[in-house]
Amino acid sequence: MKDSAADRVAQFVEDLLKGRRPRRFSATPEEAEAMSAAAGLAAARVGSDLPDKAALERIHRRLSERLDDSPAVDGRYSRRAWLRTVGTAAAAVVVGVAIDEAVTRRGSSAPTATEAEVLTPDGGQWRPVAALEQLPPGQAMTVSTAAMDVVVVNDGGQISAVSGICTHLGCKLQPDNADKRLACPCHQTAFSWTGKLLYYRLKSAPPDLPRIQSRVNNGQIELFV
Amino acid sequence: MGLIELRPGGRPEPDPEAAVYTDWESVYQDNVVGIYQLAFRRVGNAADAEDVAEEVLIRTLHTLRFPAAVHNVRAYLVKTARSVLADHWRRHYAAQNAVVELEQVPAPGLAGPPNSVASERAQRMLALLPDQFRRVLELRFLRGYSVREVANEMGVSEANARVLQFRALRKAATLEQEVLR
Repeated sequence: MKDSAADRVAQFVEDLLKGRRPRRFSATPEEAEAMSAAAGLAAARVGSDLPDKAALERIHRRLSERLDDSPAVDGRYSRRAWLRTVGTAAAAVVVGVAIDEAVTRRGSSAPTATEAEVLTPDGGQWRPVAALEQLPPGQAMTVSTAAMDVVVVNDGGQISAVSGICTHLGCKLQPDNADKRLACPCHQTAFSWTGKLLYYRLKSAPPDLPRIQSRVNNGQIELFV
Repeated sequence: MGLIELRPGGRPEPDPEAAVYTDWESVYQDNVVGIYQLAFRRVGNAADAEDVAEEVLIRTLHTLRFPAAVHNVRAYLVKTARSVLADHWRRHYAAQNAVVELEQVPAPGLAGPPNSVASERAQRMLALLPDQFRRVLELRFLRGYSVREVANEMGVSEANARVLQFRALRKAATLEQEVLR
């Protein structure tokens, strides 16, 4: 059975999304067009388009072999040098992806996934914090209660809430709606809307953000705080 | 310890017009991430992006004479990237006129924050798509649904989901060119 154009492009997309080098084939102009758009979209996933340390090491080593009269001492690339290269350029280190589905990337190491803890304060109760209509889909807002700062998120109609305080040193996180993340201004750490750690430039990975119980009741967003 | 470790921390760049590179290491260090990101946006996977980035750097560095002005080197890197990427599509997918309209890269540096360019472009492009097309691409690319899951979600067969995906990507390709202009 011959594959259709849609099937061939679907296989190409599948390879990209699985982080594999896609199979080569002779594409029609229409297919190539679609595949090129697919490549652009695959790059739009948070964290996908930064090289990992191993990739930079390989590029550096091969450049040394092909260019250098005085080859690099041992061809290795220290973590600090990597941080500097990636850091100066991108100010972030990829450790995961924003979408919760894992995206496999050659040589990359995702942080060990730990189920985010749910923060349930002693003596907490359901308190309304905002009208649902104040928080349109695709937006996050910070809510301060007496006890804590909380970021409430409307992701496509689904309301959720996480602690609004960075798990590293307690800086207040800033919601970034465009990229659906919460950024820490102190050390460039970033979390997804679900509280998962996305980037950090620290010696060790800070924990994911605790989740806060939330619900919608009569058009009001309520948090258990 | 690699050579890079020995470099002093800050590269002095008092006047961007006057800044020069004096060795390949500094060209590499300044630009490798930006070139990789640029390549990734056009090939969509890490393995190919790595190969393309390496090829762009090697071709550029072979022809450079040091000292070389930073802004010249960067312009040349982008030009080379365009040609390496066109080769990539031609060689691997027989795509003759693979449009490699690289976006203009702003002078101060080739690297941006991760995904900023790609996701901003994707968002603009998705916003312009008809509902069905936008939905299939969002589910598949941004939410990581499998074709089967997309089919279930949208109430169509898997074969139809693949066709829908193909059409949506073709539409996206035409929109992307408009968005890039």
